[in-house]
Amino acid sequence: MSAAGGETGSAQSRPSTYTPAPGHRYEVGDAVRVKRRYPPGHRRTPHYIRGKVGTVERICGAFPNPEELAYGFDGEPKKVLYRVRFVQKEVWPRYRGPARDLIEMEIFEHWLEPAGDTGGRT
Amino acid sequence: MTMAGAKAKLEAPNGVDEMAEKHPNRGPQDIGGRKAGPVDVVDHGMKFWERQANALRSTLSGKGIVKRDELRRAAEDLRDYSKLQYFEITTSALRTLMIEKGYMTEQELKAKMDEVRARFDVPDEMESPLKQKAAQP
Amino acid sequence: MTDSRIDYYAVKKHAHDHGDHDHSHDDHAPVAGEDEGPPSEFAIMSRAMQEILEAKGVITAEQVTRRMEQFEEDFPYRGSRVVARAWTDPEFRKRLLDDGKAACTEMGVDLEADRLIAVENTPEVHNMIVCTLCSCYPRALLGMPPTWYKSRSYRSRVVFEPRAVLKEFGTELPDNVTVRVHDSNADMRYVVIPMRPQGTEGWSEDQLADILTRDTLVGVTVPRVRT
Repeated sequence: MSAAGGETGSAQSRPSTYTPAPGHRYEVGDAVRVKRRYPPGHRRTPHYIRGKVGTVERICGAFPNPEELAYGFDGEPKKVLYRVRFVQKEVWPRYRGPARDLIEMEIFEHWLEPAGDTGGRT
Repeated sequence: MTMAGAKAKLEAPNGVDEMAEKHPNRGPQDIGGRKAGPVDVVDHGMKFWERQANALRSTLSGKGIVKRDELRRAAEDLRDYSKLQYFEITTSALRTLMIEKGYMTEQELKAKMDEVRARFDVPDEMESPLKQKAAQP
Repeated sequence: MTDSRIDYYAVKKHAHDHGDHDHSHDDHAPVAGEDEGPPSEFAIMSRAMQEILEAKGVITAEQVTRRMEQFEEDFPYRGSRVVARAWTDPEFRKRLLDDGKAACTEMGVDLEADRLIAVENTPEVHNMIVCTLCSCYPRALLGMPPTWYKSRSYRSRVVFEPRAVLKEFGTELPDNVTVRVHDSNADMRYVVIPMRPQGTEGWSEDQLADILTRDTLVGVTVPRVRT
Protein backbone atom coordinates (compact mmCIF):
# COMPACT_ATOMS: atom_id res chain seq x y z
CA MET A 1 0.00 0.00 0.00
CA SER A 2 1.36 3.37 -0.83
CA ALA A 3 -0.70 5.34 1.65
CA ALA A 4 2.36 5.85 3.79
CA GLY A 5 4.34 7.15 0.84
CA GLY A 6 5.15 10.55 -0.53
CA GLU A 7 1.67 12.05 -0.84
CA THR A 8 1.79 13.43 2.66
CA GLY A 9 4.48 16.01 2.05
CA SER A 10 8.04 16.31 3.19
CA ALA A 11 9.67 13.61 5.27
CA GLN A 12 13.13 14.13 6.66
CA SER A 13 15.72 11.43 6.45
CA ARG A 14 18.41 13.42 8.16
CA PRO A 15 18.28 14.15 11.84
CA SER A 16 16.32 17.22 12.81
CA THR A 17 18.14 20.51 12.84
CA TYR A 18 17.10 20.84 16.45
CA THR A 19 19.38 18.29 18.03
CA PRO A 20 21.67 15.74 16.43
CA ALA A 21 20.88 12.03 16.74
CA PRO A 22 24.13 10.17 16.37
CA GLY A 23 23.90 6.42 16.53
CA HIS A 24 20.21 6.31 15.72
CA ARG A 25 18.93 2.81 15.19
CA TYR A 26 16.13 3.26 12.65
CA GLU A 27 15.97 5.03 9.32
CA VAL A 28 13.10 6.73 7.56
CA GLY A 29 10.92 4.06 5.97
CA ASP A 30 11.80 1.32 8.45
CA ALA A 31 8.91 -0.79 9.69
CA VAL A 32 8.85 -0.63 13.49
CA ARG A 33 6.63 -2.02 16.19
CA VAL A 34 5.81 -0.12 19.36
CA LYS A 35 6.73 -2.37 22.28
CA ARG A 36 3.83 -4.08 23.90
CA ARG A 37 4.84 -3.28 27.43
CA TYR A 38 2.87 -1.64 30.22
CA PRO A 39 5.24 -0.32 32.86
CA PRO A 40 3.86 2.00 35.53
CA GLY A 41 4.86 5.62 35.77
CA HIS A 42 5.05 8.55 33.40
CA ARG A 43 5.23 7.42 29.77
CA ARG A 44 4.60 9.39 26.61
CA THR A 45 3.65 6.34 24.54
CA PRO A 46 -0.15 6.13 24.51
CA HIS A 47 -1.65 2.75 25.33
CA TYR A 48 -3.64 2.67 22.11
CA ILE A 49 -0.48 2.48 20.00
CA ARG A 50 1.40 -0.14 21.97
CA GLY A 51 2.00 -3.28 19.97
CA LYS A 52 1.15 -1.56 16.70
CA VAL A 53 3.32 -1.57 13.61
CA GLY A 54 4.16 1.61 11.72
CA THR A 55 6.75 3.24 9.51
CA VAL A 56 9.38 5.77 10.53
CA GLU A 57 8.34 9.05 8.95
CA ARG A 58 11.23 11.16 10.25
CA ILE A 59 13.95 11.31 12.85
CA CYS A 60 13.21 14.22 15.15
CA GLY A 61 16.53 14.25 16.94
CA ALA A 62 17.71 13.29 20.41
CA PHE A 63 16.00 14.61 23.53
CA PRO A 64 16.27 14.09 27.28
CA ASN A 65 14.11 11.18 28.36
CA PRO A 66 10.76 12.52 29.61
CA GLU A 67 10.33 9.40 31.75
CA GLU A 68 13.28 10.58 33.80
CA LEU A 69 12.63 14.33 33.63
CA ALA A 70 9.21 13.69 35.14
CA TYR A 71 10.85 12.58 38.39
CA GLY A 72 13.40 15.37 38.62
CA PHE A 73 16.31 13.69 36.91
CA ASP A 74 18.12 15.29 33.98
CA GLY A 75 16.97 12.75 31.42
CA GLU A 76 20.49 12.11 30.15
CA PRO A 77 21.69 10.43 28.06
CA LYS A 78 19.32 11.72 25.43
CA LYS A 79 17.11 9.29 23.57
CA VAL A 80 16.38 9.39 19.86
CA LEU A 81 12.85 10.45 19.01
CA TYR A 82 11.09 9.33 15.84
CA ARG A 83 7.86 10.26 14.16
CA VAL A 84 6.09 7.05 13.27
CA ARG A 85 3.23 6.76 10.82
CA PHE A 86 0.46 4.24 11.29
CA VAL A 87 -2.50 3.24 9.15
CA GLN A 88 -5.68 3.90 11.11
CA LYS A 89 -7.30 0.63 10.12
CA GLU A 90 -4.31 -1.20 11.56
CA VAL A 91 -4.58 0.68 14.84
CA TRP A 92 -8.35 0.44 15.34
CA PRO A 93 -10.07 -2.75 14.22
CA ARG A 94 -13.38 -0.90 13.93
CA TYR A 95 -12.03 2.22 12.22
CA ARG A 96 -14.84 3.56 10.06
CA GLY A 97 -12.95 5.92 7.77
CA PRO A 98 -11.21 5.01 4.54
CA ALA A 99 -8.17 2.74 4.43
CA ARG A 100 -5.98 5.68 3.44
CA ASP A 101 -6.38 7.51 6.78
CA LEU A 102 -3.26 7.83 8.90
CA ILE A 103 -2.21 8.62 12.44
CA GLU A 104 1.26 9.80 13.36
CA MET A 105 3.05 10.44 16.61
CA GLU A 106 6.43 10.67 18.21
CA ILE A 107 7.89 7.53 19.76
CA PHE A 108 11.21 7.25 21.56
CA GLU A 109 13.70 4.69 20.31
CA HIS A 110 13.56 2.59 23.45
CA TRP A 111 9.85 2.04 22.81
CA LEU A 112 10.46 0.62 19.34
CA GLU A 113 11.61 -2.70 17.99
CA PRO A 114 12.02 -3.86 14.39
CA ALA A 115 8.72 -5.06 12.94
CA GLY A 116 10.48 -8.11 11.60
CA ASP A 117 9.51 -8.13 7.96
CA THR A 118 11.92 -7.27 5.17
CA GLY A 119 9.79 -6.16 2.27
CA GLY A 120 7.81 -3.22 3.61
CA ARG A 121 4.14 -3.34 4.43
CA THR A 122 1.24 -4.10 2.10
CA MET B 1 -0.83 -9.51 5.32
CA THR B 2 2.80 -9.26 6.34
CA MET B 3 4.52 -11.45 8.88
CA ALA B 4 4.46 -8.56 11.32
CA GLY B 5 0.76 -8.06 10.77
CA ALA B 6 0.04 -11.75 11.28
CA LYS B 7 2.01 -11.87 14.48
CA ALA B 8 0.23 -8.80 15.82
CA LYS B 9 -3.12 -10.41 15.11
CA LEU B 10 -2.17 -13.59 16.97
CA GLU B 11 -1.26 -11.56 20.03
CA ALA B 12 -4.61 -9.83 20.00
CA PRO B 13 -7.02 -12.38 18.55
CA ASN B 14 -10.05 -10.11 18.73
CA GLY B 15 -8.23 -7.31 17.00
CA VAL B 16 -8.82 -5.17 20.04
CA ASP B 17 -5.79 -5.15 22.30
CA GLU B 18 -7.55 -5.93 25.55
CA MET B 19 -4.37 -5.70 27.50
CA ALA B 20 -3.96 -2.07 26.45
CA GLU B 21 -7.64 -1.32 26.95
CA LYS B 22 -7.87 -2.37 30.55
CA HIS B 23 -4.32 -2.43 31.87
CA PRO B 24 -4.00 -1.39 35.52
CA ASN B 25 -1.00 0.76 34.67
CA ARG B 26 -2.94 2.79 32.13
CA GLY B 27 -3.09 6.25 33.64
CA PRO B 28 -6.22 8.41 33.75
CA GLN B 29 -4.70 10.74 31.16
CA ASP B 30 -4.20 7.98 28.60
CA ILE B 31 -7.59 8.38 26.96
CA GLY B 32 -6.89 8.12 23.23
CA GLY B 33 -9.56 5.85 21.78
CA ARG B 34 -11.84 5.89 24.80
CA LYS B 35 -15.53 6.39 24.10
CA ALA B 36 -16.79 9.92 24.71
CA GLY B 37 -19.68 12.17 23.81
CA PRO B 38 -19.88 14.93 21.23
CA VAL B 39 -17.32 17.72 21.33
CA ASP B 40 -18.58 21.06 22.61
CA VAL B 41 -17.16 22.98 19.68
CA VAL B 42 -17.57 26.43 21.17
CA ASP B 43 -14.47 27.91 22.77
CA HIS B 44 -15.52 29.03 26.23
CA GLY B 45 -12.28 30.89 26.80
CA MET B 46 -10.56 31.29 30.12
CA LYS B 47 -11.64 32.94 33.34
CA PHE B 48 -9.37 35.53 34.89
CA TRP B 49 -8.09 33.14 37.57
CA GLU B 50 -7.33 30.54 34.91
CA ARG B 51 -5.29 33.00 32.90
CA GLN B 52 -3.39 33.95 36.01
CA ALA B 53 -2.92 30.29 36.99
CA ASN B 54 -1.61 29.60 33.51
CA ALA B 55 0.77 32.54 33.74
CA LEU B 56 1.96 31.32 37.15
CA ARG B 57 2.65 27.85 35.76
CA SER B 58 4.38 29.30 32.72
CA THR B 59 6.53 31.66 34.80
CA LEU B 60 7.69 28.84 37.05
CA SER B 61 8.33 26.59 34.09
CA GLY B 62 10.25 29.31 32.27
CA LYS B 63 12.54 29.70 35.28
CA GLY B 64 13.17 25.95 35.39
CA ILE B 65 11.58 25.67 38.81
CA VAL B 66 9.16 23.06 37.49
CA LYS B 67 9.61 21.04 34.33
CA ARG B 68 6.76 20.34 31.93
CA ASP B 69 7.36 16.63 32.41
CA GLU B 70 7.10 17.00 36.18
CA LEU B 71 3.83 18.89 35.83
CA ARG B 72 2.46 16.15 33.62
CA ARG B 73 3.55 13.42 36.02
CA ALA B 74 2.08 15.24 39.00
CA ALA B 75 -1.18 15.71 37.06
CA GLU B 76 -1.34 12.05 36.09
CA ASP B 77 -0.82 11.01 39.71
CA LEU B 78 -3.79 13.05 40.94
CA ARG B 79 -6.38 10.79 42.45
CA ASP B 80 -9.19 13.01 41.16
CA TYR B 81 -7.74 13.61 37.67
CA SER B 82 -10.85 12.34 35.89
CA LYS B 83 -13.14 14.61 37.87
CA LEU B 84 -11.17 17.85 37.55
CA GLN B 85 -11.23 20.58 34.96
CA TYR B 86 -8.10 21.51 33.06
CA PHE B 87 -6.87 24.38 35.25
CA GLU B 88 -7.91 22.58 38.41
CA ILE B 89 -5.53 19.84 37.29
CA THR B 90 -2.77 22.35 36.54
CA THR B 91 -3.19 24.02 39.92
CA SER B 92 -3.28 20.72 41.80
CA ALA B 93 -0.19 19.49 40.00
CA LEU B 94 1.63 22.69 40.81
CA ARG B 95 0.64 22.27 44.44
CA THR B 96 2.12 18.76 44.46
CA LEU B 97 5.39 20.00 43.02
CA MET B 98 5.74 23.08 45.19
CA ILE B 99 5.43 20.90 48.27
CA GLU B 100 7.60 18.15 46.81
CA LYS B 101 10.36 20.61 46.01
CA GLY B 102 10.14 22.36 49.36
CA TYR B 103 8.87 25.73 48.16
CA MET B 104 6.04 25.54 50.63
CA THR B 105 4.48 23.20 53.15
CA GLU B 106 0.90 21.99 53.31
CA GLN B 107 0.42 24.09 56.42
CA GLU B 108 1.70 27.24 54.75
CA LEU B 109 -0.60 26.71 51.82
CA LYS B 110 -3.61 26.08 54.02
CA ALA B 111 -2.92 29.21 56.04
CA LYS B 112 -2.52 31.34 52.95
CA MET B 113 -5.63 29.88 51.38
CA ASP B 114 -7.59 30.77 54.53
CA GLU B 115 -6.27 34.31 54.26
CA VAL B 116 -7.13 34.62 50.55
CA ARG B 117 -10.55 33.09 51.05
CA ALA B 118 -11.31 35.56 53.84
CA ARG B 119 -10.66 38.51 51.54
CA PHE B 120 -13.60 37.66 49.39
CA ASP B 121 -15.88 37.85 52.38
CA VAL B 122 -14.89 41.43 53.29
CA PRO B 123 -17.63 43.74 51.95
CA ASP B 124 -15.52 46.73 51.01
CA GLU B 125 -12.42 44.85 49.89
CA MET B 126 -11.14 46.69 46.83
CA GLU B 127 -9.51 43.56 45.56
CA SER B 128 -12.75 41.71 45.04
CA PRO B 129 -14.07 42.30 41.54
CA LEU B 130 -15.91 39.04 41.93
CA LYS B 131 -17.83 40.38 44.89
CA GLN B 132 -18.58 43.62 43.03
CA LYS B 133 -19.83 41.75 40.02
CA ALA B 134 -21.97 39.46 42.14
CA ALA B 135 -23.49 42.53 43.76
CA GLN B 136 -24.55 44.00 40.42
CA PRO B 137 -28.22 43.57 39.49
CA MET C 1 -14.51 35.25 25.75
CA THR C 2 -14.46 34.53 22.07
CA ASP C 3 -12.76 36.83 19.65
CA SER C 4 -14.29 36.04 16.30
CA ARG C 5 -10.90 36.47 14.74
CA ILE C 6 -9.49 33.50 16.63
CA ASP C 7 -12.62 31.40 16.99
CA TYR C 8 -13.77 30.59 13.52
CA TYR C 9 -16.61 28.49 14.77
CA ALA C 10 -18.14 31.44 16.62
CA VAL C 11 -18.19 33.41 13.37
CA LYS C 12 -19.73 30.57 11.42
CA LYS C 13 -22.37 29.88 14.03
CA HIS C 14 -23.64 33.45 13.99
CA ALA C 15 -23.17 33.91 10.25
CA HIS C 16 -21.32 37.20 10.60
CA ASP C 17 -20.23 38.71 7.35
CA HIS C 18 -16.81 40.21 6.92
CA GLY C 19 -17.72 43.72 7.92
CA ASP C 20 -19.26 42.78 11.23
CA HIS C 21 -16.39 41.77 13.40
CA ASP C 22 -13.97 44.21 14.87
CA HIS C 23 -10.28 43.52 14.48
CA SER C 24 -9.26 45.52 17.52
CA HIS C 25 -7.70 43.74 20.44
CA ASP C 26 -9.90 45.50 22.99
CA ASP C 27 -12.70 42.98 22.61
CA HIS C 28 -11.00 40.49 24.79
CA ALA C 29 -8.99 42.58 27.23
CA PRO C 30 -9.14 40.91 30.62
CA VAL C 31 -12.16 42.06 32.56
CA ALA C 32 -12.14 41.31 36.25
CA GLY C 33 -15.89 41.35 36.39
CA GLU C 34 -16.36 38.67 33.76
CA ASP C 35 -16.18 35.93 36.36
CA GLU C 36 -19.39 34.90 38.00
CA GLY C 37 -19.86 34.01 41.64
CA PRO C 38 -17.31 33.44 44.37
CA PRO C 39 -13.87 32.05 43.57
CA SER C 40 -13.52 28.29 43.54
CA GLU C 41 -11.16 26.47 45.89
CA PHE C 42 -8.76 26.07 42.99
CA ALA C 43 -8.79 29.77 42.21
CA ILE C 44 -8.03 30.40 45.86
CA MET C 45 -5.30 27.75 45.82
CA SER C 46 -3.66 29.22 42.76
CA ARG C 47 -3.75 32.72 44.19
CA ALA C 48 -2.39 31.50 47.50
CA MET C 49 0.52 29.68 45.86
CA GLN C 50 1.33 32.72 43.80
CA GLU C 51 1.43 34.96 46.88
CA ILE C 52 3.57 32.51 48.85
CA LEU C 53 6.07 32.35 46.01
CA GLU C 54 6.07 36.13 45.60
CA ALA C 55 6.68 36.58 49.31
CA LYS C 56 9.62 34.19 49.11
CA GLY C 57 11.09 36.04 46.15
CA VAL C 58 10.79 33.08 43.81
CA ILE C 59 8.69 35.08 41.35
CA THR C 60 7.33 38.61 41.14
CA ALA C 61 3.80 39.75 40.46
CA GLU C 62 5.10 41.68 37.45
CA GLN C 63 6.50 38.52 35.91
CA VAL C 64 3.16 36.76 36.16
CA THR C 65 1.28 39.79 34.83
CA ARG C 66 3.69 40.17 31.96
CA ARG C 67 3.22 36.52 31.08
CA MET C 68 -0.55 36.93 31.13
CA GLU C 69 -0.21 39.84 28.74
CA GLN C 70 1.94 37.82 26.37
CA PHE C 71 -0.61 35.03 26.28
CA GLU C 72 -3.41 37.53 25.64
CA GLU C 73 -1.91 40.13 23.37
CA ASP C 74 0.98 38.50 21.58
CA PHE C 75 0.89 34.73 21.17
CA PRO C 76 -2.57 34.33 19.63
CA TYR C 77 -1.73 36.50 16.63
CA ARG C 78 1.50 34.94 15.53
CA GLY C 79 0.35 31.74 13.85
CA SER C 80 -1.87 33.43 11.29
CA ARG C 81 0.95 35.76 10.27
CA VAL C 82 3.45 32.95 9.86
CA VAL C 83 1.12 30.81 7.77
CA ALA C 84 -0.04 33.81 5.71
CA ARG C 85 3.62 34.37 4.85
CA ALA C 86 3.87 30.73 3.78
CA TRP C 87 0.89 31.24 1.50
CA THR C 88 2.49 34.19 -0.27
CA ASP C 89 6.16 33.14 -0.27
CA PRO C 90 6.90 29.62 -1.60
CA GLU C 91 10.50 29.70 -0.42
CA PHE C 92 9.40 30.63 3.09
CA ARG C 93 6.86 27.81 2.96
CA LYS C 94 9.65 25.35 2.21
CA ARG C 95 11.69 26.67 5.10
CA LEU C 96 8.70 26.45 7.40
CA LEU C 97 8.09 22.84 6.40
CA ASP C 98 11.75 22.02 6.80
CA ASP C 99 12.36 23.63 10.19
CA GLY C 100 9.34 25.28 11.75
CA LYS C 101 11.15 26.94 14.62
CA ALA C 102 13.86 28.50 12.46
CA ALA C 103 11.26 29.87 10.04
CA CYS C 104 9.35 31.46 12.92
CA THR C 105 12.55 32.96 14.26
CA GLU C 106 13.06 34.54 10.83
CA MET C 107 9.79 36.39 11.34
CA GLY C 108 10.73 37.49 14.83
CA VAL C 109 8.45 34.89 16.42
CA ASP C 110 10.19 33.27 19.37
CA LEU C 111 8.71 29.85 20.11
CA GLU C 112 10.67 29.62 23.39
CA ALA C 113 11.01 25.97 24.40
CA ASP C 114 8.74 24.59 21.68
CA ARG C 115 9.89 22.86 18.53
CA LEU C 116 7.55 23.11 15.57
CA ILE C 117 6.53 20.84 12.74
CA ALA C 118 4.33 22.44 10.09
CA VAL C 119 2.14 20.02 8.15
CA GLU C 120 0.57 21.08 4.90
CA ASN C 121 -2.90 20.36 3.62
CA THR C 122 -3.15 19.36 -0.04
CA PRO C 123 -6.05 18.27 -2.22
CA GLU C 124 -5.18 14.72 -1.13
CA VAL C 125 -4.39 15.22 2.56
CA HIS C 126 -6.06 16.96 5.48
CA ASN C 127 -4.09 17.30 8.72
CA MET C 128 -5.54 17.45 12.22
CA ILE C 129 -3.77 18.02 15.55
CA VAL C 130 -4.51 16.60 18.99
CA CYS C 131 -2.70 15.74 22.20
CA THR C 132 -4.42 12.76 23.76
CA LEU C 133 -2.25 12.61 26.88
CA CYS C 134 -2.60 16.20 28.08
CA SER C 135 -3.18 19.15 25.73
CA CYS C 136 0.16 19.94 24.18
CA TYR C 137 -0.29 22.81 21.80
CA PRO C 138 2.06 25.36 20.20
CA ARG C 139 1.16 28.03 22.75
CA ALA C 140 3.88 30.46 21.80
CA LEU C 141 2.53 30.39 18.23
CA LEU C 142 -1.22 30.18 18.72
CA GLY C 143 -1.86 31.30 22.30
CA MET C 144 -3.79 29.14 24.72
CA PRO C 145 -5.74 26.19 23.32
CA PRO C 146 -9.52 26.45 23.10
CA THR C 147 -11.63 24.59 25.64
CA TRP C 148 -12.65 21.98 23.07
CA TYR C 149 -9.03 21.06 22.38
CA LYS C 150 -8.51 20.29 26.08
CA SER C 151 -11.79 18.37 26.42
CA ARG C 152 -11.95 14.65 27.05
CA SER C 153 -14.16 14.19 24.01
CA TYR C 154 -11.72 15.79 21.60
CA ARG C 155 -8.67 14.13 23.09
CA SER C 156 -10.16 10.64 23.06
CA ARG C 157 -12.15 10.69 19.82
CA VAL C 158 -9.97 12.50 17.29
CA VAL C 159 -7.50 9.61 17.11
CA PHE C 160 -10.27 7.05 16.72
CA GLU C 161 -12.92 8.85 14.66
CA PRO C 162 -11.44 12.07 13.25
CA ARG C 163 -14.02 12.41 10.49
CA ALA C 164 -16.92 12.27 12.95
CA VAL C 165 -15.26 14.98 15.05
CA LEU C 166 -14.57 17.10 11.97
CA LYS C 167 -18.25 16.85 11.11
CA GLU C 168 -19.12 18.29 14.52
CA PHE C 169 -17.05 21.31 13.54
CA GLY C 170 -18.90 21.55 10.23
CA THR C 171 -16.06 20.09 8.19
CA GLU C 172 -16.70 17.18 5.85
CA LEU C 173 -14.07 15.59 3.67
CA PRO C 174 -14.60 13.08 0.87
CA ASP C 175 -13.18 9.59 1.25
CA ASN C 176 -10.55 10.25 -1.39
CA VAL C 177 -8.87 12.75 0.94
CA THR C 178 -6.55 11.23 3.54
CA VAL C 179 -7.18 12.45 7.07
CA ARG C 180 -3.83 12.50 8.83
CA VAL C 181 -4.05 12.87 12.60
CA HIS C 182 -1.04 14.01 14.62
CA ASP C 183 -1.00 13.07 18.29
CA SER C 184 1.56 15.52 19.64
CA ASN C 185 2.66 13.34 22.51
CA ALA C 186 6.34 14.25 22.93
CA ASP C 187 8.63 17.14 22.13
CA MET C 188 7.22 18.40 18.84
CA ARG C 189 4.39 20.87 18.40
CA TYR C 190 2.32 21.17 15.27
CA VAL C 191 0.65 23.73 13.06
CA VAL C 192 -1.41 23.07 9.96
CA ILE C 193 -0.76 24.99 6.75
CA PRO C 194 -4.26 24.97 5.24
CA MET C 195 -4.90 25.11 1.52
CA ARG C 196 -5.34 28.63 0.28
CA PRO C 197 -8.91 29.03 -0.95
CA GLN C 198 -10.00 30.37 -4.31
CA GLY C 199 -10.92 34.02 -4.36
CA THR C 200 -7.88 35.19 -2.39
CA GLU C 201 -5.70 36.07 -5.34
CA GLY C 202 -3.82 39.31 -4.81
CA TRP C 203 -4.74 39.51 -1.11
CA SER C 204 -2.32 41.11 1.33
CA GLU C 205 -0.77 39.05 4.12
CA ASP C 206 -3.05 40.84 6.58
CA GLN C 207 -6.13 39.83 4.64
CA LEU C 208 -4.88 36.27 4.40
CA ALA C 209 -4.04 36.15 8.14
CA ASP C 210 -7.61 37.22 8.80
CA ILE C 211 -9.05 34.00 7.37
CA LEU C 212 -6.32 31.83 8.91
CA THR C 213 -8.21 31.47 12.16
CA ARG C 214 -6.95 29.36 15.02
CA ASP C 215 -9.37 26.60 14.18
CA THR C 216 -7.94 26.27 10.66
CA LEU C 217 -4.40 26.04 12.06
CA VAL C 218 -5.36 23.12 14.31
CA GLY C 219 -7.15 21.46 11.43
CA VAL C 220 -10.77 21.31 12.56
CA THR C 221 -11.98 23.72 9.91
CA VAL C 222 -10.72 25.08 6.59
CA PRO C 223 -10.32 28.76 5.74
CA ARG C 224 -13.28 30.35 4.02
CA VAL C 225 -13.56 33.51 2.00
CA ARG C 226 -16.46 35.36 3.58
CA THR C 227 -18.63 37.14 1.02
